[in-house]
Amino acid sequence: MGLVGAAALADPVAVAPFAWPMPAWIVPPHVPDDNPMSAAKVDLGRHLFHDARLSRDSTVACASCHVQALGFADGRPRGLGINDTPSTLNVPGLANVGYLPALTWANPHMDSLEFQALVPLFGETPEEMGGAGQEVAIFARLAADPWYRTAFAAAFPDRPAPDLFTITRALAAYQRSLIAVNAPYDRYKYRGEVDALSAAAKRGEQLFFDHRFECYHCHSGIHFTNNLRTARQPQGEVGFHNTGLYESYPATAPGLIELTGRPEDAGRFRTPSLRNVAVTAPYMHDGSIPDLRGVIAHYAGGGRAPGHPQKDGMIVGFTPTEAEIDDLIAFLESLTDRDFLTDPRHADPWPPGHPAVATRRMPAP
Amino acid sequence: MTRFAFAAAAAFAATPALADMAVSIPFAAEIAGQPFACTQTYAGLGRTRAEVQAVDFRLFVSNPALIRADGSLQSMTLDQDGAWQLGDLALLDFEDASGACANGTAGMNTTLRGTVPEGEYTGLSFTIGVPFDQNHIDPTQAPAPLNTTAMFWNWQGGYKFLRIDMVPTDRKNDGPRGWFLHLGSTMCDAASKTEAPTACKNGNRMEIRLDGFDIAQGTVVIDPAPVVAGADLRANAPDTSPGCMSFPGDADCMTVMAALGLGYMDVPAATQSLVAQR
Ligand code: HEC
Ligand code: HEC
Repeated sequence: MGLVGAAALADPVAVAPFAWPMPAWIVPPHVPDDNPMSAAKVDLGRHLFHDARLSRDSTVACASCHVQALGFADGRPRGLGINDTPSTLNVPGLANVGYLPALTWANPHMDSLEFQALVPLFGETPEEMGGAGQEVAIFARLAADPWYRTAFAAAFPDRPAPDLFTITRALAAYQRSLIAVNAPYDRYKYRGEVDALSAAAKRGEQLFFDHRFECYHCHSGIHFTNNLRTARQPQGEVGFHNTGLYESYPATAPGLIELTGRPEDAGRFRTPSLRNVAVTAPYMHDGSIPDLRGVIAHYAGGGRAPGHPQKDGMIVGFTPTEAEIDDLIAFLESLTDRDFLTDPRHADPWPPGHPAVATRRMPAP
Repeated sequence: MTRFAFAAAAAFAATPALADMAVSIPFAAEIAGQPFACTQTYAGLGRTRAEVQAVDFRLFVSNPALIRADGSLQSMTLDQDGAWQLGDLALLDFEDASGACANGTAGMNTTLRGTVPEGEYTGLSFTIGVPFDQNHIDPTQAPAPLNTTAMFWNWQGGYKFLRIDMVPTDRKNDGPRGWFLHLGSTMCDAASKTEAPTACKNGNRMEIRLDGFDIAQGTVVIDPAPVVAGADLRANAPDTSPGCMSFPGDADCMTVMAALGLGYMDVPAATQSLVAQR
């Protein structure tokens, strides 16, 4: 069984420098001191990310909820973990996730990809990969795979075994390498390709950055979110807002208040990046809006439930024409980096039938 | 001759420690008065007298101290065993991965082991919980026992202080897959949104003081039955964690947190009924 895979599996990447997959003028994301990027680590992380043996029963990989073709989201309102356990929240896409100083929908303390990986691996409310208490068995399973034996040694010469440190570091390095900056909008805006955008998308851009629609106040900057930490920023910038989605947010997803206890944090969620947004439906923290048209209707009404006392002052409501809605959607669609969705550097490396993926479950296409 | 000299030197080196005595405090895990075991079921729990199988039983104990006759505290220096005890913290683990304890570990740890200065002691005190300065560290780099994944509670920035997991054998059709008692800090705020928490609104650490505890003969008994006496273990409030996991807004916690000696939302703390001495 191991042989089937081994035959088609590329050899682990030997020690090689890591090159960010983007033009040099874009500042890379912040990288923590204890986890410098390397090609070997990224490649190891890519294998781990797609490997269902990281879950208790080898049915769930990170990729079971984070699918490359969907911008590393999953197309479902909420994720689906081990034993068909639904996640509490919608699965965010992972394009440019290394730039986000606060990860997940509403947790200001989730400040590193290394740390975040523990949640799907070992979290129990709800279980996603069901690994709590199973770490010894999971590490042993990985250590028995000959590919990993070489790969862990190449990525972590001083500590060449699967453990909590190496697995979380490799997963984080891979996720930091998920850079998507080659959308039609990038080509139009930063590379002077005036024809890269349709006329509709160009009109939509004007609306997005317009004072009537106010989108850009929160969806600002290179990744269309006011959450950003580049390698040049000693501290990240974060933005959590209540967009008036509910009159009273349910106890399952109360927003930032769950962690801070501050009444003004009720219903506040982190502004998501809008890169690849056209392929990451359904939308919002609970997946409760099925399409972009629905999102625009939500904002047009000043929020689906406009009366929330903590609603952000920028959610003002507007009356768009049908043509304006179409234009705004065309603009949002121009933020999709098609190459990213199929880039072999990010892709599932395991051959079909390999034990890493033989019993892995994926969302229905 | 050589031997004698060696022994004398050893005695000399050990002199400062002569005033210390070793203490080992046994803990017993029970459910409704019956010893906890992964293969056992327990009847008559909670408001609806549910039958449960217990599938996990672990807790962190910290800052152990003996009580002097005058009521003052002498902290106990824990043996640093590289596995269960770290600084002033110990993981007590009563499950052995057998039977229904699927997420358990084979190893068990049921005593606190350490030293105190020689003296007369009339009681024991300790905290159930991980001290704040150890609770918000990076668990991927933490030494044992803080690397125990079953005790991670990381999305709240901390560890589970106590986990007693029960599964009703006669649950309602739409009943919960388990009734889990998890204690941990909640609502941990930070000075800025990108810093580690500076404090938690609900620290949820239980301060236990057992006056009259006999250091030589006594046993500390942990039994969740009185704590869940007012809860329905066959059911779970919709859209909340299965059981009571300390998070505000969970109807399943209303009677439970008070019985742990902790205030919860607007329910005031009562006397804790989890820990007793024998
Ligand atoms: C069962 C589905 C599921 C699996 C499996 C899963 N995730 Fe996720 N992921 C989610 C959900 C749901 C969220 C949002 C959670 C939240 O906001 O609390 C999320 C959020 C994230 C985020 C934060 C993204 C952001 O925009 O802040 C990262 C990073 C991430 N996951 C990485 C991983 C890694 C690495 C793995 C494998 C170790 C993994 N995920 C496995 C469902 C899943
Ligand atoms: C006050 C800040 C703010 C403004 C203004 C704002 N957004 Fe948002 N946006 C957010 C936040 C926060 C969320 C997540 C809210 C939630 O899930 O409850 C979000 C979610 C979205 C999503 C869903 C993304 C996903 O991955 O689920 C889209 C699309 C979106 N916004 C587009 C827009 C557009 C278009 C505008 C202008 C009409 C706009 N936003 C204005 C803060 C803002």
